[in-house]
Amino acid sequence: MKAGRLLGLVGVHLRASRVSAAFAIVGVSVGVAFLCFFVGLGEGVRARVLNKIFPADQLEIEPRAVRIFGVEGTPGQPGLSEARVARVAQIPGVVRALGKQKSAFPAKLWGGRQLLGYDLHTEAFFDGLPAELLRGELAQTERVAASAVARGRRSAERCDVEEDCPAGARCLDGGCEDVAWAQRFDAATLHLRCGTDTECAAGLTCVRGRCAAASTLRSCQLDQGDHGACPEHQRCASHDGRATCEPIRCRLAAAADQRSLDPALARGKITTAGKGPSCIAGQCPTERPCPSRLYCAADDPDSREGTCEWPLPTVVNPLLLEVFNSDMAASLNLARVASPEILYGVRYHIAVGDSHFTQDAARARQQVKQAVVVGFSPKAPELGVALPLAFVQHNNARIRGQDAAASFDAVLVQVRSNEDVAGVIRAVESMGFSLSRRSRVARTFGTVVFLIYLALVLLSFVVLGVAAANITHTLAMLVHERRRELAVLRALGATTLDVALIVVLEGAVFGLGGGLLGIILAWAGARGVERFAADALRGMPLVPDQFFDFPPWLLPAALGVAIGFCVIGSIIPARRATRLDPATVLSQP
Amino acid sequence: MSIALVVDAKGLTRRFATKEGAVVALSDLDLQVEAGEMVAIVGRSGAGKTTFLQLLGALDRGYEGSLKIDGRELRALGDRALSRFRNGHIGFVFQAFNLLPDLTVGANVIMPAHFAANLPTADAIGRGRALLERVGLPDVWDKRPLTLSGGQRQRVAIARALLLQPKLLLCDEPTGALDLATAAEVLALFDDLRQEHGTTLMLVTHDDVVRDRCGRVVTLEHGRLTSDVRRSA
Repeated sequence: MKAGRLLGLVGVHLRASRVSAAFAIVGVSVGVAFLCFFVGLGEGVRARVLNKIFPADQLEIEPRAVRIFGVEGTPGQPGLSEARVARVAQIPGVVRALGKQKSAFPAKLWGGRQLLGYDLHTEAFFDGLPAELLRGELAQTERVAASAVARGRRSAERCDVEEDCPAGARCLDGGCEDVAWAQRFDAATLHLRCGTDTECAAGLTCVRGRCAAASTLRSCQLDQGDHGACPEHQRCASHDGRATCEPIRCRLAAAADQRSLDPALARGKITTAGKGPSCIAGQCPTERPCPSRLYCAADDPDSREGTCEWPLPTVVNPLLLEVFNSDMAASLNLARVASPEILYGVRYHIAVGDSHFTQDAARARQQVKQAVVVGFSPKAPELGVALPLAFVQHNNARIRGQDAAASFDAVLVQVRSNEDVAGVIRAVESMGFSLSRRSRVARTFGTVVFLIYLALVLLSFVVLGVAAANITHTLAMLVHERRRELAVLRALGATTLDVALIVVLEGAVFGLGGGLLGIILAWAGARGVERFAADALRGMPLVPDQFFDFPPWLLPAALGVAIGFCVIGSIIPARRATRLDPATVLSQP
Repeated sequence: MSIALVVDAKGLTRRFATKEGAVVALSDLDLQVEAGEMVAIVGRSGAGKTTFLQLLGALDRGYEGSLKIDGRELRALGDRALSRFRNGHIGFVFQAFNLLPDLTVGANVIMPAHFAANLPTADAIGRGRALLERVGLPDVWDKRPLTLSGGQRQRVAIARALLLQPKLLLCDEPTGALDLATAAEVLALFDDLRQEHGTTLMLVTHDDVVRDRCGRVVTLEHGRLTSDVRRSA
């Protein structure tokens, strides 16, 4: 029997039994709705909550700690060197492994006047991360800045100083330009001040007051333009017959100005003789501030002298924003921050070597730095700030000694896929590492979420199983009611396969109808829950905008499961239909 | 010159297993029917008429002996081949009409074409309309069977049975639910069909009028063929 004719017959039968069909379809739709609802919820929680705190493909490992009398330590273990990190990167399934170093120096942090009207003060803790690890987050910030700049261009906005431009952009030739934040996070743009080699991290030497690898000192041409091909924040200077790019020296009007965010005060005046960025046709004004977007970073808290520097790019954990929005905003009577993008470009101060609680570093080794928020990432510490790795290493060496900067504290491992995670964990454990507390919590949390998700999906399958049993009952009843019609079809030439297909196809149609209705119910239920949650959970941390994430595969999968269950449920009635003896049925009155 | 046998039964026996033991519904029946014959099968209730008709209709293969329809031994055919054979060679007309109530008259008439291998739907519709016209119901194509009278329904059932031009038309009490005038119309139709297409008709009946219209009367008693009378035309 041709498929079209078979479907036509099925359609006629279903129309004739529409009440029974409707009940069967509703039963299936409930199961499918449960399934889609819970899968959507599970995917949403994993994607929008779990990955927001603990990225699934990221592991943080550290040398295995030993607990002695309640105190954890790593006695006898070698430091976490570049070589050990490189060995981790060789493990199959590892995309990359990057070392991370925590700050070993005291620091204070204050800022927020731009947003709050006054400054918040806190002790500060940093993780030094390589720019490569944050490239995705920094690119996101750059996209936002580029978009804002594009909007500014469309509205023909002009700028005189960088503060006229959107966050993340700079003012160049009277117009706002995009900024490459990933480059700013890189060590090459940092000014790592030093007096001797011992103040520099391993591998760097103190060259003319800054830590650098000798091979990376950039050569320049003194007779080429303002900078002699140097970056904007540097100038071309000649020493010992060799011209290299070096920081631009500057002077503040008062030492206290280094604690100001006012560009008129903080940019100071350039003191370096020779060509500079403000020179026009070879004529240089005697007093000019640091180039746009730079500030004059004093050498120590009591000094007026310093160098023109970019603000330190910093990345913040989104959890901090959640905590601020859920608890701090209300208690401080402040408005909640609706979007992290609002904070891009916000500047604040870091006092390196200074502390509210512990002994400060020597005054001469302290420094006040301007910092700027350039992104949000779960890779940043929950209660701290991520800074460029080179900056943390440099200050660990400068304040605590070179040993403090000699090894990493942990390795951030990016794994190719979730399937590789277990193998990578086994491999790193055999190398003497263990998962960090953060990664252990992440895996535990992930496992709990997965188990709950699995239980709910199983529950959905139970509901679908009940629906399939109902389908069996309904179809068996319909076969009994229509046994005479089926016998007539057999008399007219239908094979047992034709009769079986009619019944199975009716089951499949129940599945298709129930599947579609179930998907609609799940979607409507999800929207309802989200609307309810938006009101009920307002102010709670880590509450996402959407709880549900319906992946593209869910629609065909849900329909497939629904049809599959219904086809299975139709097998027994179909067998019963094929066993009908047409001679017996037709001989009955 | 050999005569074409549409039905060739030799030693045909049918037993049914019951709790009380085997019941013989047909016993050692021999019967040959030629093409174009109109045969009445008569007998008391329980004589085996319906069982015989079901065996002839290839609805039941559990027989002993031999039963050939149009030269094919039915027991040798599998389910698929038997269904195809039934579809192409045998037409049924039931006392209770057995039209499918959820389908239109037209859909009922062309239903056998759904199971036929080589009859496009368009051709089936054309043939179905012509048959309805032939049985005197040109305007009922889109109606539901339940809106028709008994005689009209029986004529629709005859049109359905004839759609694929079967060699053998089996009728179980075809006039049992009809009044005398309608029954006469149906019988006249059978006569015409036999003469026009050479269709072989075998009718189970209790009706003397029907029996008298048939050229041959076969009587069954207790599952045995007790009489086989040919009448002159």
